[in-house]
Amino acid sequence: MSQISDEDRQALRDGFSRYLEAEADQEKLRAGIASDRGYDNSIWQQMAEMGLLGIAISEDFDGVGGGATDVALVMEEVGRKLVPVPFASTCVVAAEMIARFVPDPIKQDLLQKIAAGQLTVSIGGTGDFVSLSDDGHSLSAELSGDSWVMNGQVSFVSHAGVADYHLLGLKEDGVDSAYLVTASDAVSAERLSTNDPAQRLFTLNFSDAEAIKLEDMDAEGINQVRMRGVAAVAAEQAGATRAIFDITMEYLRTRYQFGRPIGSFQAIKHMAADLLVEVESGTSAALAAAKALDSGSSSAEKFVSLAAFTCKDAFRTVSAQAIQMHGGIAYTEEHIAHLYWRRARAGLSLFGSSDEHREHYLKSREAA
Amino acid sequence: MAILDRSASPEDINSVVEAWLDQHWDSEKRCAKGEDSYDEKAWLTKVFEAGFCVPSWPTEYYGLGLSQKQSGIIEKAFAKRKAQGSARDRFHLGAITVFKVGSEELKRAMLPVMLTGPICCLLYSEPNAGSDLAGVRTKAIPDGDDFIITGQKIWTSNAQEAEYGMLLTRTDWDVPKHRGITFFLFPMKQDGVEVKPINQITGESEFNEVFITEARVPASHIIGNLNEGWTSFQTAIAYERLIMGQGITERRGKSKADSEPQLITLARKYEKYDDPTVRQKIAQALAYRELNGLNMQRAKQEIMTNGSSSLMSLGKLAMSRVQHGEAAIATDLLGNAALLDGDDYPDAVNINFDAAKAYMNSIGGGTDQIQKNIIAERVLNLPKEPDLDRDVAFRDVKSS
Ligand SMILES: Cc1cc2nc3c(=O)[nH]c(=O)nc-3n(C[C@H](O)[C@H](O)[C@H](O)COP(=O)(O)OP(=O)(O)OC[C@H]3O[C@@H](n4cnc5c(N)ncnc54)[C@H](O)[C@@H]3O)c2cc1C
Repeated sequence: MSQISDEDRQALRDGFSRYLEAEADQEKLRAGIASDRGYDNSIWQQMAEMGLLGIAISEDFDGVGGGATDVALVMEEVGRKLVPVPFASTCVVAAEMIARFVPDPIKQDLLQKIAAGQLTVSIGGTGDFVSLSDDGHSLSAELSGDSWVMNGQVSFVSHAGVADYHLLGLKEDGVDSAYLVTASDAVSAERLSTNDPAQRLFTLNFSDAEAIKLEDMDAEGINQVRMRGVAAVAAEQAGATRAIFDITMEYLRTRYQFGRPIGSFQAIKHMAADLLVEVESGTSAALAAAKALDSGSSSAEKFVSLAAFTCKDAFRTVSAQAIQMHGGIAYTEEHIAHLYWRRARAGLSLFGSSDEHREHYLKSREAA
Repeated sequence: MAILDRSASPEDINSVVEAWLDQHWDSEKRCAKGEDSYDEKAWLTKVFEAGFCVPSWPTEYYGLGLSQKQSGIIEKAFAKRKAQGSARDRFHLGAITVFKVGSEELKRAMLPVMLTGPICCLLYSEPNAGSDLAGVRTKAIPDGDDFIITGQKIWTSNAQEAEYGMLLTRTDWDVPKHRGITFFLFPMKQDGVEVKPINQITGESEFNEVFITEARVPASHIIGNLNEGWTSFQTAIAYERLIMGQGITERRGKSKADSEPQLITLARKYEKYDDPTVRQKIAQALAYRELNGLNMQRAKQEIMTNGSSSLMSLGKLAMSRVQHGEAAIATDLLGNAALLDGDDYPDAVNINFDAAKAYMNSIGGGTDQIQKNIIAERVLNLPKEPDLDRDVAFRDVKSS
């Protein structure tokens, strides 16, 4: 349950939205992408300032004590502006995993630092809580004396280059285990080149890196973390879908051909009306998933999967059609449309494909 | 007994309605207690007098002043016992339109009559005015306190049963088309009104041709004002589209969430439920239906906080995809069995009916293409297409 009142939530959202409107323009977005970090650190710090990084963290650890709905609102705004910050990984998945499975006092220290914007966590390996699974990893954790050490290699780890910790999942014979490794000389990160320039993926190499093993990981707890990660990404996609749609509608009203705005042509209007159904369905699904998680509803599983494939597919379709409706201008690197389109494509396999979620949705409807 | 008003709890409302129904309705015989057969007028009058016909309307207009949510409880209790007459504030398009835009005189005179009778038919479409409804040519000519009506309507659903119809007529031919229209509440049961049923692709004959020859309607039955019929008509058509978006045209509560969806039942029965391709299609179809429901829930929320919601206009369009899509999947599930017809093949009969009936949603009440025009122009503010007849006196407009 969220500890935030409806009014505070709206104020938080409005404040963040105004800030991004002023500070997260296309120029800054591109500069952030081109930077070492991959995103504009001043935005991250401002998010800490506004209490957003601790939105899913309990008040006991300097967080705000929000729920999935609060996370969704932040993610929608992040998605609108395509801000490529490691929010879902650090502030949702890692924060939830740490809160559940890391003992005090480490837990307290880490959560406080996450909320304060002092550390980020990257997530890799395999397991349900890992957004980009790498089945080909060669990770192995061994007990050496009292402590665990990590060896081997794993790829497809987002934002790992600047992360202060790496949370690694190792699923063996259907059993999940997870380890937290501090960035150190025993870990090297090599950047992968990616189709979406905003997506920062790395291969990590571990040689006798010291690790903390997460404790008492239960399937239900991991599933909760997974669902919260999925719902957060879905909300980000819903926000991004609406943003590229709005950009496109504005263009349709202002671009003239044949002596009239192109938005007055019926072929274009009908595309727009169809896309609006996708845009609104994405928003509704993301919201329904977050609400179901917050109320502890037994339908959460169903709504989370519904949101996953609806938002992925809507983002893909709307961003692709946006390019078509813009014509040649959107075929240029300079125009922002392809950045939305690339982000949509980069999201297709996060936490599983649309087809997998559709299957899961059907199963959970049967179970209900 | 608790008093039914805005402060009544769901439990109170439920127990009051249940008690009322216990007292007045015989669920077994499906008629009023103490009667042997169902007398529609007498029953509807009872429901009307109790305020259950239009519970969300204020008490001075035959309602109980309840919220939509509270009204829903009444509707459910009636549905459970298969008793007619509740929720007319959601489905009786004629009464809703008169309530919203009719004169005080018309409301007082006609709402009690309308609410205790059959639903109104919609006398809009004509052979030469379909999507382009503002092109109606049915004439209304003033004569004393009346107007005399002559013209032809078509595709008029339920015209045989209806006692009244909402009628679009032309009253001024010398101004552009939208400005010379008058909207009437028209009495159907009179000389000069001939109704001829049309056979439909569903096998039913719900819609009709209506030939009107010098029939009469009192001037007091104008809904809204003379020559401003297009404006009052907008209220009626918007409401019609709204309830179509909620699946009102569908057979047997297919939108109900609590039972197993028909597609799953069919897939199991025809042993295709394990096929991953089939499962993908079914999942997506069920998702479209659920998403439309979620969009409409959000719309209701927005209406409660802002007074309006642009989401509402999406329902009918989305519902077309739902209905045509589900019918297509069901047809594939049946395979050869879908080729058959007749009492021995109820699955085939049902799904072939659904496949045809889906057009009622995608053509009736304005086609999907017209809906897309409306969404693009009114919701997305995309510029209108140039109209060739916008500023031309209707008399001079070209027609086929
Ligand atoms: C089951 C059913 C019940 C009905 N019940 C009633 C009723 O009770 N009362 C009543 O008055 N009417 C009723 N109708 C009529 C219905 O409203 C009309 O059929 C509908 O508005 C379309 O008009 P039309 O049939 O003349 O087709 P047309 O307007 O001739 O359209 C033919 C095709 O052209 C397309 N088209 C037309 N104009 C445009 C445009 N501007 N842009 C893009 N495409 C366009 C249409 O989408 C359609 O595909 C009913 C129809 C059905 C199917």
